[in-house]
Amino acid sequence: MVDRLATSPTATLAVGVRAPTADIYAPQWRNFIFVAPFLFFFTTLLLFPLLWGMWLSFHKADTFSSGNFVGLGNYARLYHDKVFLQSIWNTFYFALLTVPTLALIGLFLALCLNRRTRTAAVLRTLFFSSSVLSVTIVTLIWRIVFIPNVGLLSTIYGWFGATAPAFISDPSLAMIGIAIATIWWCIGLPMMLFLSALQQIPQDIYEAAALDNANRWQTLRSITLPSIKRTFILVIIIQIVLQFQLFGQAWLMTRGGPNNLTKPIVLYIYDTAFRRWDLGLGAAASEILFILILVAAMAQYLVTRSRGDQA
Amino acid sequence: MKLKKILFAAVSAGAMLLAAPSFAATELSVQRFFGACDADFGTNTDATKAVGECGIITSLINKFNADNPDVHVNVTTVEWPGYDQLTAQFASGDAPDIVTIHESVLSDYQSKGLLMPLDDLLKSVGVTPDAFTDAARNGATKDGKIYGLPTDSWTMLYHVNMDLFKQAGLVNADGTPIFPKSPEELLAQAEQFKQKTGKPYFVQNLANETALYTRNLYTYLFQQDSDFFADPKHVKLNTPEARKVVEMYKAIFEKGYTTKDLDYGGSINAFLAGEGGVHLNGTWVVGDYNAQSETKGTALNKGGYAVYPYPQLFGGAHAQYADGHTWAVSQKDRTPEQIAAIGRFLKFFADNDFEWSRTGHLPAYKAVITSDAFKALPHRNTISAVADLGKPLPSAVQRQFAIQDIIGEEMSAAISGQKDVDTALADMESRVNELLANI
Repeated sequence: MVDRLATSPTATLAVGVRAPTADIYAPQWRNFIFVAPFLFFFTTLLLFPLLWGMWLSFHKADTFSSGNFVGLGNYARLYHDKVFLQSIWNTFYFALLTVPTLALIGLFLALCLNRRTRTAAVLRTLFFSSSVLSVTIVTLIWRIVFIPNVGLLSTIYGWFGATAPAFISDPSLAMIGIAIATIWWCIGLPMMLFLSALQQIPQDIYEAAALDNANRWQTLRSITLPSIKRTFILVIIIQIVLQFQLFGQAWLMTRGGPNNLTKPIVLYIYDTAFRRWDLGLGAAASEILFILILVAAMAQYLVTRSRGDQA
Repeated sequence: MKLKKILFAAVSAGAMLLAAPSFAATELSVQRFFGACDADFGTNTDATKAVGECGIITSLINKFNADNPDVHVNVTTVEWPGYDQLTAQFASGDAPDIVTIHESVLSDYQSKGLLMPLDDLLKSVGVTPDAFTDAARNGATKDGKIYGLPTDSWTMLYHVNMDLFKQAGLVNADGTPIFPKSPEELLAQAEQFKQKTGKPYFVQNLANETALYTRNLYTYLFQQDSDFFADPKHVKLNTPEARKVVEMYKAIFEKGYTTKDLDYGGSINAFLAGEGGVHLNGTWVVGDYNAQSETKGTALNKGGYAVYPYPQLFGGAHAQYADGHTWAVSQKDRTPEQIAAIGRFLKFFADNDFEWSRTGHLPAYKAVITSDAFKALPHRNTISAVADLGKPLPSAVQRQFAIQDIIGEEMSAAISGQKDVDTALADMESRVNELLANI
């Protein structure tokens, strides 16, 4: 014991002199090689176009020339452009139609199908299957449903001697028609997110509730819904970001009509930059959309962070 | 002796291998609209057996490939009109060699130096502009040079279901349809038609449509001598003349004299099913509709099919809006072989303009439009007048397709009651002028 006490300081000293340990967390230039491929693609495919877009938005430019610097001129034009303002409203209206519906129907389906039966498994697959289709197929299917005279809806209404609502051309119904097609297409993801959240709720809480004689409604309100609150917020934020980028359905079903009532911001950008060759104005509109989506993404970040702090 | 033979064979084989590249076919990329119909005409090289725009153009290109083994044409078919794609191709330096472009759109690309002037090339293959009809030559000429080989002139027409016109009592003693001579007469005849047949006078594709509205407006502005594009950079559409036209179509819509919720395909089906008297559609369906009228059991076979230019409803010039299709050539560095191959392709289409005119389009060549063969085609006696009536927008007006969309959107809003007519006309004018001011 004495020997050990006597020798130990010497040993420690010897180690310190012999080999100074390398700090593995110290910055090393060669580590850059590991992130270089990612940085290359991030810079060329994301950062550069982003900055180029911002630069273009301050210029009067067309597809074949970069034009002159106009400062905030393009943004001023957007501010006075009724069609652009309409397209912002359309985008919000579309998100309002689809996001809550997707969340509620997704939750309802998840609650119904959260059981270990074969029928539930088949139905889960069935409801998710529409998500794998491309936008072209989805709009084709819904055009066949909505098309006047020969469409599925017209045929069904025809059996009762009635006229089907004109979901593709009626000013008050066109956006609802696009929303219906979109909900049918996108319902799979919210349903799956809710299902995975539901399956993480510990079973013993339900058993405790059963012992307390809680009925189904009380169990849903007091246990299920509070337990999946974070997933609910996640679904809402993901869907807002997704539905703000509406393009394909509106372009293929209504071309943005009638009279721009179904023209979302992305379609406005496409129309302005590529069909009218007004690239500067299109870039300015893209920056506005970028800010709108950024706000939604920041909201997601803030909500999830504050929930994390509380936890 | 044997060794000599082997040596000779080896040298010959080597020579053939070396010579092979010089026999490689010259590749030409051709981009067109007019639809895809490879299932029906993918291998057909006899254009006389083809019908419709797609069938005839596919067969003609097949024939060109068959007749010219040293040239190979690769065709890309784009959705009408394909200009978004073409613009992106030009921007990325990947434009096709030859592409279909409307005469009304030529100046957009020509003004940016993206198209090749064709005067010298056409001259080298024996095609001279004096062979073109006046309408075709004017449409293809920009800044004094030819920028597209014209293939036709087209316009919108009154396609008539004669069975329903007979039921409505709108037929002359000689069997020709009775058409209105004023907006008031049009509304009265449409009412009579509706009362007698229970069907709308017009079959129109009004669902999310822009082109039809705009072409109708242009035609009836021309007929009122309205010089709305006196300045190619500034339009005047908030005028009494434009108001008259929009109010006429608004009355037609409100009184149920037209189909309302049909898209383009739906409107064709509706007309072929006999659901209305007059289909407002272009020259390009004459061949198909005529074929339908000759098929027993169809609605058009019942009482016949007739086709006419738009009636003269106003007291001004006898005119209606017209445009034309051309083959344009992109500006890029090419070998003499490639340029020669392009020349042969253009010459082939100039020589075969009669086959193309069977679609219903009017020929772009004087020799064809005056030929007995063309005059003998069905309905050409009634629609040939368009060669004189047809009037395009001034060629200096740029972005004509974008302008068409704006005018169509605003007209649609006014006619369907989403906006009052005055607001729609004011918005139409300011939006077009804003677009033109920022070119």
